[in-house]
Amino acid sequence: MTWKQRTQAPFYVGYLNAVPKPLVVFLTVFALCFIAGLGIAALALSSTQNDPGNGGFQWGNRFEQAGVLELRPYPVFRVPADGDTPARTYMLAGQGKRGVFDAAETNRQKTVSLRGVPISRGDLTMIQVGKVTMSDEQDAGFTPSAPVPLGRWKLTGEICDGKCYAGAMRPGRGLAHKACADLCLTGGTPPVFVSSGPIEGRSFFLMADREGNLLGDEIDPLLALYIEVEGEIEQLDDLMVFRADLTTARVLK
Amino acid sequence: MSVQYTPVLWNRNKILYDAALLIAVALYLYVFIRVGPMFEDVTRPIDGAILRMRAFGSCAFLMLTVILCIGPLARLDRRFLPLLYNRRHFGVMTAGIAAVHANYVLGWYFSFSPTDKYVALLASNTGYTQLLGFPFEALGIAALLILFVLAATSHDFWLSFLGAPLWKALHMTIYAAYVLVVLHVALGALQGPGDPVLTTLVAAGVILVCGLHLAAGRMEAGRDRGEETARNSPEETGWVVACEVGDIDDDCARVVTLDGGERVAIFKYDGKLSAITNVCAHQNGPLGEGKVLWGCITCPWHGYQYNLADGRAPAPFTEKVSTYRLKLAGATVLLDPDALPPGTHVDPVEIGGAA
Repeated sequence: MTWKQRTQAPFYVGYLNAVPKPLVVFLTVFALCFIAGLGIAALALSSTQNDPGNGGFQWGNRFEQAGVLELRPYPVFRVPADGDTPARTYMLAGQGKRGVFDAAETNRQKTVSLRGVPISRGDLTMIQVGKVTMSDEQDAGFTPSAPVPLGRWKLTGEICDGKCYAGAMRPGRGLAHKACADLCLTGGTPPVFVSSGPIEGRSFFLMADREGNLLGDEIDPLLALYIEVEGEIEQLDDLMVFRADLTTARVLK
Repeated sequence: MSVQYTPVLWNRNKILYDAALLIAVALYLYVFIRVGPMFEDVTRPIDGAILRMRAFGSCAFLMLTVILCIGPLARLDRRFLPLLYNRRHFGVMTAGIAAVHANYVLGWYFSFSPTDKYVALLASNTGYTQLLGFPFEALGIAALLILFVLAATSHDFWLSFLGAPLWKALHMTIYAAYVLVVLHVALGALQGPGDPVLTTLVAAGVILVCGLHLAAGRMEAGRDRGEETARNSPEETGWVVACEVGDIDDDCARVVTLDGGERVAIFKYDGKLSAITNVCAHQNGPLGEGKVLWGCITCPWHGYQYNLADGRAPAPFTEKVSTYRLKLAGATVLLDPDALPPGTHVDPVEIGGAA
């Protein structure tokens, strides 16, 4: 292969304002293609992003109810049945990437009035707690129901932080979100198992370890991955709690 | 060329270059953030911060891909050489766009927490032993640090301060940055729900960069093996046969490769011949692909100039390159393969009737 410079070949010197005409045409066409190419790439990438779903803060639907705070093992809020509405159990998170362990410990098993903002995705609802006060309606008549054991199950799905997945972030799952989820869980946000198949009509499970205690760093390697894991499931009103036996966990992909 | 250091020596070509870049980047970001979402099929919009971090991140990736294509493109087709002239501005802008991407990531995924966001960035995911779930953010940080260093040392002051070989070696770490960025994307964004457009763009970018470099490398290897490799002269001991006088166009050079791989540019001008190393003292540009302008060899990359007889940049500039001795045997150009110290004067060979 040979090459040599030719007298007639256009020669560009950057600091000279005079650019050979053939190069002006070539560079103009290239610049237009470059600009158009980036514009088309932006449109293609932006318009085909995956749907993050319908999760989100329900800012127009502030939450304020009386009920009982419990630790199961993460803070939950038990609300009595009201007319046709059955009793409910809500997962709780604090502002930002924080949990509400302090408020739950202080008011454990007490009837309180809880104000906050619901974050909902389908049948998963988490309350971002704004304020907890002792309830005026100290109706001692309300005793939250005991958990109902549903047996041992093998679930496939993903461990997420419940708040981001519920819609605090859109999207709020997947490996790109793993570090954020890790930070949320460290801050006290309840972990949620998002199952690929429903159990008793529910696909979201508040997680605990197999003894029913808080999960620690042992879930870090499994967080945000598609896994299979066995454990006991119990039902607290409308909330499922998954006591995962992480020794059985297996990464599927 | 300049004898004093100023932040940017603006000229019309640099302004046009930067204007085209700014328009392209602004259009990309506007379309990604404002126009694209109007066509997306989502139940509720993606968070604005996530949309912007994706816009700036993908923009930086595409810009880095184009930057790495400019070098081999300019080797394969000289019409792309003007893109090389102001490539450092392209690089600095890419570092800036990547920094905005990182800032959005920090301000969204690693904020709103009792943990300091910089601590959180480094400590949230420490699964360095697993491939799936690998802390790909660390790869992005490493790439960004390289881009910052390259942007900060892109000025000719640093080139002069560090010397061309070290500066060039430092700036070759752009390839390490690209590998880190590709891994950052592959282990992060591409592990999410299937995104065929992003996957295609990343794959196409990597294939383009690798393919162009392979093609340019093959072309260069072909040149080295080809007829331009100088042969020992059978008659003149210690001299090699470089080429025929008629092989060289006026005010241009013929590049010949010596046995050791060194390339020498033999210029013909005003009925004379002179030889210098093919490597520009500025950024190792191929001087033999330059031309003689105003009596000086002019590098095709950034226009650095050298006197033909002694390889010295005209005063007040101070760069100098190695020169070589030449002689003619009829119309055949013979070259002494021993390089003379940079700046050594060598009387040009008069062509006379040999041409």
